[in-house]
Amino acid sequence: MTTTIEPTEDEASAPSLISVRGLGVSYDVARTGEKLVAIEGVDLDVREGEFVTVLGPSGCGKTTFMNVIAGLVKPSAGKVLVAGEPVTGPGPDRAVVFQDYALLPWRTVFDNVRFGLEMQKGLKGSGWRDRVQEAVELVGLSGFEHAYPRELSGGMQQRVGLARAIVAEPRILLMDEPLGAVDALTREVMRAEIEKLIAATGKTVLFITHSIEEAILLGDRIVVFKSHPGAVKEVIETGLERPRSERSIQSDPRFLELRDHLWDALQGEATAAAVSK
Amino acid sequence: MSAFLASGPNLGRGGVGAWLAGLSPRGKVLVLAGEVVVMLALWQLVVGVLGWINPVFFPPPSAIWQGFLELWSSGVLATNALVSLQAWLTGFAIAVGIGIPLGLLMGTSLPVDRVVGPIAWTIYATPTIAYQPLAKAWFGFGIGPVIFLVAISAVFPILLNVAAGMRTTNPSIIRAGTVFGAGRFQLYRSVYLPSTVPFLFAGLRQAVVLATIGMVVAELTGSAQGMGAVIIRAANTYQTDQAFAAIALVVVWSVGMTQVVTLVERWVAPWTRKARR
Repeated sequence: MTTTIEPTEDEASAPSLISVRGLGVSYDVARTGEKLVAIEGVDLDVREGEFVTVLGPSGCGKTTFMNVIAGLVKPSAGKVLVAGEPVTGPGPDRAVVFQDYALLPWRTVFDNVRFGLEMQKGLKGSGWRDRVQEAVELVGLSGFEHAYPRELSGGMQQRVGLARAIVAEPRILLMDEPLGAVDALTREVMRAEIEKLIAATGKTVLFITHSIEEAILLGDRIVVFKSHPGAVKEVIETGLERPRSERSIQSDPRFLELRDHLWDALQGEATAAAVSK
Repeated sequence: MSAFLASGPNLGRGGVGAWLAGLSPRGKVLVLAGEVVVMLALWQLVVGVLGWINPVFFPPPSAIWQGFLELWSSGVLATNALVSLQAWLTGFAIAVGIGIPLGLLMGTSLPVDRVVGPIAWTIYATPTIAYQPLAKAWFGFGIGPVIFLVAISAVFPILLNVAAGMRTTNPSIIRAGTVFGAGRFQLYRSVYLPSTVPFLFAGLRQAVVLATIGMVVAELTGSAQGMGAVIIRAANTYQTDQAFAAIALVVVWSVGMTQVVTLVERWVAPWTRKARR
């Protein structure tokens, strides 16, 4: 099989916004007294404005990896730098979109979006209302400001999660399988909207997914994770033109080539993961 | 078509079930009122008209109404209802005043939970009536033991529900709060407390019923005044119509207060209202 897919080397010339070196996370399992290694020896550099998708089977440690960058999990080995500074906890330069939306059920759409602003920057002055409203409109939820999350569909709830993440204008968006719990049709629509939104705002994105199509459609680069322990298997540059339409890309030879390659790469991993469970 | 639009489980629901589920709030009240009227009419028919049961043991609704009027006109009702009301409200206020703060403390601190929890469950599991002789020994024969029994009956459902509410706060919402920069105090105020509110109201509803049981138990045996005393005196002198009238009033109070709690909940926590689609 002839392929032009080669693992990419990180260019030392471009300054990276996120820099991960030798990252490892392990837990002590209290019940057995054993050490569980979630991820091990992860190196990665993400440039400003880059859209990086992280692809891997369930349980490969990709969410743990993201949680370290978010500042929710402390690494046991190695280091993570964001804009040259070591990550010591959550910060206003990073925002997270969660797979299960994680909205506050007692707050309306407007107040949930406001939450992204009030905790980190406070709500002093009068500009915050406009900013919240702007974020609500940007994700297409005008008219639903006063609805409670339980009154909304899954796709609409995730739009709230997205608005909450972008309202404080973080440099980095961390998205943990944001469309994993959304129905297939909505997923397709929202993929396109996320791509458009990110292109318009120029944010740096780390996007976790277990869908090969999603990883190719959205990513500038794809980081493939392997399991047991979680580690980077390879990094691939997609090299596809933007904007990418889901329909037209399905027949793009480059897309098909990438899909075949990733499918082969993941099949072994998925089988190994399934067997070990 | 409407079958496709109906929400919620629809497992083997027949015509009547579907009709009941689809009723408007006003329709539901009418159905309930109809049920009460039919029951009262049957009761009146069996005991009052057909005379199948000796009315001394089981007076018909018309006699109970007479008994109520007697209690009312003699002034017995007003005096004793006021005494009961005072004991109930005082005891309930004590239960709320202890139950909420201690429940919050238990939910926040694992050591407090480990120490207070087993004691609380032990006292909660003991039948209220077992405390009645002790209450008399401790608080004499007046309103004291009644207040004690109301408070001890009502405090544990409040306490244990609040603690459970704090403890079961959705971890993914806590994670979201942390990511968006909430500190310890902000997490407490913006995440833990609101998510405990529905549990608090569930506890209050249980507490209303248990407080009323505690009140009547205390008044039945140790008290010269109160609704329980009216019930036992009337029954001892074969004025069962008055006894039933007094019981009915206690039931009306108990049910009425749970409705009040529900109304307050709708006002304080509008997000718990069932979503209408």
